[in-house]
Amino acid sequence: MSALEIMDPKMDSGIVSKYYSVDEAIENGAAPLPISLDKTRDVQCTIDIMDHILACEATWHRGHSLAQTVFSCIYLLRPDRTSSHALLHSYCRVIRATCKTVVSVVSDTRTHEEEDLFTMAYGLALSGDGDEKCLTLLNAVEETISRQLRACKAQTSKKRVLEDIEPLQPNLDLEEGYCKALLCRLRFRKHFFHVLMCMKRSQGRGLELARKHIASCMSELESVHKSGEFLRSSSSGTCEDGIEDRTTASGREPIGFDPSLNSRLSAPTPPRAIKLLSWEKALEYFVKLLHDLEVICSYSLDPSLEGVLRFVVQFQKSQPDLIARAHLQLLLVQDGKLYGRDPIFTVITKAATLPEATKNHDIQKNEYIAQLGQLVINLLKILCTNAAWQRRKLGKILQDWRVIYVQLELEFRKQFGEVASHSNDEHLCVKIFQHILIWVEEQTYWIASRFLILGFELELFSPNEYCMVYWYIYGVLVKLAEKAHLRMTLSSGTAKRKGKKKKDSLKDVAIESRIPPSIMFLQCHICLAEGLTLMLAALRNELNVLQSPFLYNTEHERFIQHFELLQKACIPDQVSYTSFKESTTYASFPTLVMYNYFKDAQRLAKEIKSSFHNDPDRLAELRRLEQVAEHNCVALNVICRIAKAFESLRCKNCNIDVSSISFLKN
Amino acid sequence: MEPSSISKEKDKEEKGVVVEIDASSSEIEYVSYGGEHHLPLIMGLVDQELSEPYSIFTYRYFVYLWPHLSFLAFHRGKCVGTVVCKMGEHRDTFRGYIAMLVVIKPYRGRGIATGLVTRSIQVMMESGCEEVTLEAEVTNKGALALYGRLGFIRAKRLFRYYLNGVDAFRLKLLFPCRELCPSLPRDADNDDNYMIHDHLTPEECPKHV
Repeated sequence: MSALEIMDPKMDSGIVSKYYSVDEAIENGAAPLPISLDKTRDVQCTIDIMDHILACEATWHRGHSLAQTVFSCIYLLRPDRTSSHALLHSYCRVIRATCKTVVSVVSDTRTHEEEDLFTMAYGLALSGDGDEKCLTLLNAVEETISRQLRACKAQTSKKRVLEDIEPLQPNLDLEEGYCKALLCRLRFRKHFFHVLMCMKRSQGRGLELARKHIASCMSELESVHKSGEFLRSSSSGTCEDGIEDRTTASGREPIGFDPSLNSRLSAPTPPRAIKLLSWEKALEYFVKLLHDLEVICSYSLDPSLEGVLRFVVQFQKSQPDLIARAHLQLLLVQDGKLYGRDPIFTVITKAATLPEATKNHDIQKNEYIAQLGQLVINLLKILCTNAAWQRRKLGKILQDWRVIYVQLELEFRKQFGEVASHSNDEHLCVKIFQHILIWVEEQTYWIASRFLILGFELELFSPNEYCMVYWYIYGVLVKLAEKAHLRMTLSSGTAKRKGKKKKDSLKDVAIESRIPPSIMFLQCHICLAEGLTLMLAALRNELNVLQSPFLYNTEHERFIQHFELLQKACIPDQVSYTSFKESTTYASFPTLVMYNYFKDAQRLAKEIKSSFHNDPDRLAELRRLEQVAEHNCVALNVICRIAKAFESLRCKNCNIDVSSISFLKN
Repeated sequence: MEPSSISKEKDKEEKGVVVEIDASSSEIEYVSYGGEHHLPLIMGLVDQELSEPYSIFTYRYFVYLWPHLSFLAFHRGKCVGTVVCKMGEHRDTFRGYIAMLVVIKPYRGRGIATGLVTRSIQVMMESGCEEVTLEAEVTNKGALALYGRLGFIRAKRLFRYYLNGVDAFRLKLLFPCRELCPSLPRDADNDDNYMIHDHLTPEECPKHV
């Protein structure tokens, strides 16, 4: 529900504007050209404008409207007006072109769903005539300033000046500093624009080049940062108040901005003024953004879905902002293919450990198989959104994955259920269906586990709910491991039949009967989840910890609410509040010590380390698992000992909670 | 905040049950919304304590349609807190919604917010609501603790929900009557569009103390 009160300054953003239109603002001298008749001052002001735009740009990226941030710059709003001022003109052009590129990536990928202010740009001069040639103009300006810098350096070292070049501004003591400050700012814009363009290229073809530009961006940003000292010292009239909030390196207020101006135009702005990021924070933002983009560009375009999922989950741990996430999604899904390269059916057959030859099978034309492909694409897209949105969407698609499983199973029965013997091709179809069905279940449990674990990252659980959450995670992981193992056994069974003639079949059996490391990895998680469930339950049963009554409902209602979406999709089957109570009511410390799950987890983690020596991320995770297991071993011992001596033990339980969270965030 | 009231509040917390009357809160008088003369008091409090802008229409929308869900807290004739709520059908559920809850700073920590909000929730429950929802800033520890004690869960996180860029939690309280309703579980997974008609838009979204 929404109500707007016109002419109320709190509700009607139009009323707080100083000017009625851009033209009126310009007529009143809000954005003079040249900015100053004093050339030195003109250069100073231009740098201030550049810095303030950078702060605006970062603020925009962090979720505010374009109209209230970057396009609060009056110079940007009138593209042709700046043409007499080559420096400002080139900068404005590259800014508009950059904004346009960013808006198009984000709206194409729709990663912004919940940050919808981001792409709203109607009514803004997002594309001035000739903005596409922004780099030519930028290069020309850069060239001129480079010459001016060379000339100035030659003069100070008393060399003869080779060419007669007019300096940037008359104060020769400041010439070098200003030239350098401008050059790094211009070059940053150039390389940043290149980064965005390269990353947009299909099938990840531009990633290699993008990395080079990212490196250049980083070094230019460092120079921009360093120029701050010079600009502060050379500026007159710097206001000392709120130095942390300043949006320019010099500390001066920039000329030519009016954030309230657009509120009268068509572009939507929220009713109140926003706080811009400071110049320093904006620089930090761009360094983080570039780092995130670098991670994407260094990715090896792993053809296995499992690898892709692991990469995305790992990438999300650094909490990348919208722009980086949009670029990741753009890379992953193009034209309905993985990386715009691998057809989804190929990706699915690979994930379901089917032989290479099945990837072109006609079965992919089956309606439900096609739908499954769409679900995989949706999943990839969802995994690129922000954690809050991601969790909600994952909760919803669980139902879709459950439904597609049922539909595929029905289809399978319909086509092959009643035929006793199959032709060769039918045999292959049966096999494809079988593998895919198991894989769909496995994938569904993977989504469920991600859904639950994201709940910890988003701080949705309170300590008195941890026990039921770990219990649920335990149940989901057991199913996940079971399905994954079944899929692997099924495929190795096929492989075995093929290589039947080999003499060393006995050895094969030995190898095959060994549990694969990826399953043991899951088992390690399972042990921890089970151990934590029972430890928390024992704390409650024996020491009355974490058992506060609620005024209006009970634990049962909390269980229903937290796991509603999982329960609706029967994930896992036959799981209810009653079964949770049954498995935790009798948890006690003596039995926990006897079956020490944390020790099991430690042992498993140690055992499988060697299998992942090529995978630094997994190794790091294993180390963390081992650590958490160790901490909980200690915690369990301490609690048991103290439990005997004391009845109440409130302070201890904090430590346990902290370690348990760290486990699930892994 | 007086030290004595802190220790009393803490004592209540440890028992896990909210007791409404103690030495300091016995002087607090809770009054159901009684008409137009209460409106300026509510508006004054909300304007003073919450940053989000509300129009007179917003207040009237709530207090005219659901006067029995709004309460004011008085201390020696001075209005020190208020709660404004609504209820209605929401995708096959009858649900209550807490829109604004304010207690002025010097009076916080005395259980007044709990006193106000439990009165509204009680009416909602008696009117047949199945659940109650609201949004609170993730940084508002006081509000989160208060609602947590009542049985609210953090159902979801809303990314940068407030204009100041802070995330919100959607808090939900489910009343224990669902086993009696065989038609449940209902379809509750469509309520992600938080800008839907009967919800406050982010601009209007209140903060909870």
